[in-house]
Amino acid sequence: MSGSRHLAWLLLAGLLALLATGVRAEAVGTLGAMGSDTLAGLMLRWGEELTERHPGIRLQLQASGSASAPPALTAGTVRLGPMSRPMRKAERAAFVARHGYPPVEIEVARDALTVVVHRHHPLEALDRETLDAIFSRTRRCGAQQAITRWEQLGLDELTGRIELHGRNLTSGTYGLFRQRALCGGEYRHTLNEHPGSAAVVAAVGETRSAIGYAGLNHLTASVKALALVDAEGGLHRPDPEAVRRGDYPLSRSLYLYLNLPPGEPLPGPERAFLDLVLSPAGQASVTALGFVALPEATLVSQRRRLGLAPLPHD
Amino acid sequence: MNLPSEAPPSRTRWRHRRDRLATGLIAAGGIGVILAVLAIGVFLVVEVVPALAGGGLAVERLHATLTPLAWGTLKAAFWALLFALPLALGAAMHSALFMSPRLRTRLKPALELMEALPGVVIGFVAGLVLAPWVERHLAVAALLLVTLPLGALLAGALWRWLPVALRRCLPLAWAGLWLVPWLVLLGWGAVALAPPLEGLLFGGDLRAWLDAELGLHYAARNALIVGLAMGFAVLPSVYALAEEALAGVPSGLTEGAQALGATRWQALWRVVLPAAAPGLLAAVMIGAGRAVGETLIVLLASGNTALMSLSPLEGMRSLAASIAIELPEAAPGSPDYHLLLLAALALFAFTFLVNTLAELVRTRLRHRYHRLGGAP
Repeated sequence: MSGSRHLAWLLLAGLLALLATGVRAEAVGTLGAMGSDTLAGLMLRWGEELTERHPGIRLQLQASGSASAPPALTAGTVRLGPMSRPMRKAERAAFVARHGYPPVEIEVARDALTVVVHRHHPLEALDRETLDAIFSRTRRCGAQQAITRWEQLGLDELTGRIELHGRNLTSGTYGLFRQRALCGGEYRHTLNEHPGSAAVVAAVGETRSAIGYAGLNHLTASVKALALVDAEGGLHRPDPEAVRRGDYPLSRSLYLYLNLPPGEPLPGPERAFLDLVLSPAGQASVTALGFVALPEATLVSQRRRLGLAPLPHD
Repeated sequence: MNLPSEAPPSRTRWRHRRDRLATGLIAAGGIGVILAVLAIGVFLVVEVVPALAGGGLAVERLHATLTPLAWGTLKAAFWALLFALPLALGAAMHSALFMSPRLRTRLKPALELMEALPGVVIGFVAGLVLAPWVERHLAVAALLLVTLPLGALLAGALWRWLPVALRRCLPLAWAGLWLVPWLVLLGWGAVALAPPLEGLLFGGDLRAWLDAELGLHYAARNALIVGLAMGFAVLPSVYALAEEALAGVPSGLTEGAQALGATRWQALWRVVLPAAAPGLLAAVMIGAGRAVGETLIVLLASGNTALMSLSPLEGMRSLAASIAIELPEAAPGSPDYHLLLLAALALFAFTFLVNTLAELVRTRLRHRYHRLGGAP
């Protein structure tokens, strides 16, 4: 008899302890997110760390491309939208028309597009006009002549047609490269379009006559990332420091869009998530996955804007 | 003991009811499937037609986007069929009419197993293993492509000149087995001979020679690779249908022809093939339908270059692969999205028509065999 009473007390104590931890975590719930597949790995990693810190919160992610984030945010099916590019005017306008206020834009990491060639390729650097002359048929950046063969670059060791590799039409990477590297022109028809950056890197890594572009975090030992020469003749390698400073010409920011009415404080789960993302620990995950972490000044200013506690200094 | 006549009447009634229920369920399932297929068509039409009529899609843009895709689809299907049809139809003729029944019962399931291979796997192997290998060993691959079909034909010619005693050791009914060591030998010879030949004829680099002399550009992911891989995928279904049509020709017809003095070859060409022609046509159409709709092989092995070139050494981009790559990221309601749905509608209409036609032809053939007294 007394055994069962003991058991009941134990159960009650356990329940109370559970409740207490729940109260201490202050936030319980599910965070829905939909958007970029570039950010998918990073979001999942943050989600795991979040659940480790706050066992009551779970992140539910659907990574179907940046273009799927704005409609989902506008319809209200999710409150977080990871995107590998800034929201377009029309997408923002649709959100404002529905909710009456703009979404909150949070920069969460930096990334860069790299121009890659085979690891034994003689080329080390390219300037903008040459890059454009290789990839585009419009040559809007000002090159005089189209470049379709390696001989045209004055390479003795390598001859033959240049094989182009890139991403598919609707991907953010395709659009960004077109806008920044081709001065908004049109790609050549001979571009091999791959469904992922990893496939581009794999294809370039097996062919000496190939050139392609891919996100920084997809680089492998089979390819070499080329340095880019700017108009003043400065050489920019795609290393983390140059990307963080924004010196490397094909740098980009990765964003998280949040549906939050102005003047309202962040709800518990979102607060916990952003507190993690904009912390040294969250930015360490960024580095671990091959992206570039934000400068501390950006972290501090964004935390202030969101009303998060200042960064702990140790 | 359990004969129906001995069963109590209530049980018979129960069985009747069960039968009727099962028939009803099956019919409902069938109608459901038909409705689902129609609903797909209706959905596509409803999504596409307003955009077309409302001027949401500019005609020149439609033209510029869809023409290379349609071209790429047909090009991929053409090379796949070029590779698969001779092999599949030849294999079907051989196994239906000449092959020993013992070998046939073993080989047929093996070929049917080939059909179960998912397209992703074939495309993966073609894009990530075959394409780089062929690129590195272009001369070997080219020589193999020439040697193996010619070698098989040569084996047939040589066989006719063999002494009778030897011919008895290598019966035609077992050609499927003894051709294997012969082709392996030829293949090995090609692999060994290709590098010196390449050095002698093409200055050591066939790719550079093609580029310099003929102006032909060799892309690593090209129509030949896609044709080989997709031919491999299409082959089993074409073979199975053609075999069924040929084996189903009433044996009375062949026997009659041979009794009148026709050789086996004559009986095949003059009697069996004309009788089974609609079935073979249906097999080819099913193969073409599959080749046009096949997605992942083209996506992984073709490079997805929107080119309009005739060259088998350059890539292409197909309708199905474009839909698979682009649709997940196209914003619903955008022109891109409507364009992709239009491509889907074209694809749907094509495969629907081809498959329906093939099925009609097959049904008619079955009736014909039935009239001629063959197996139903």
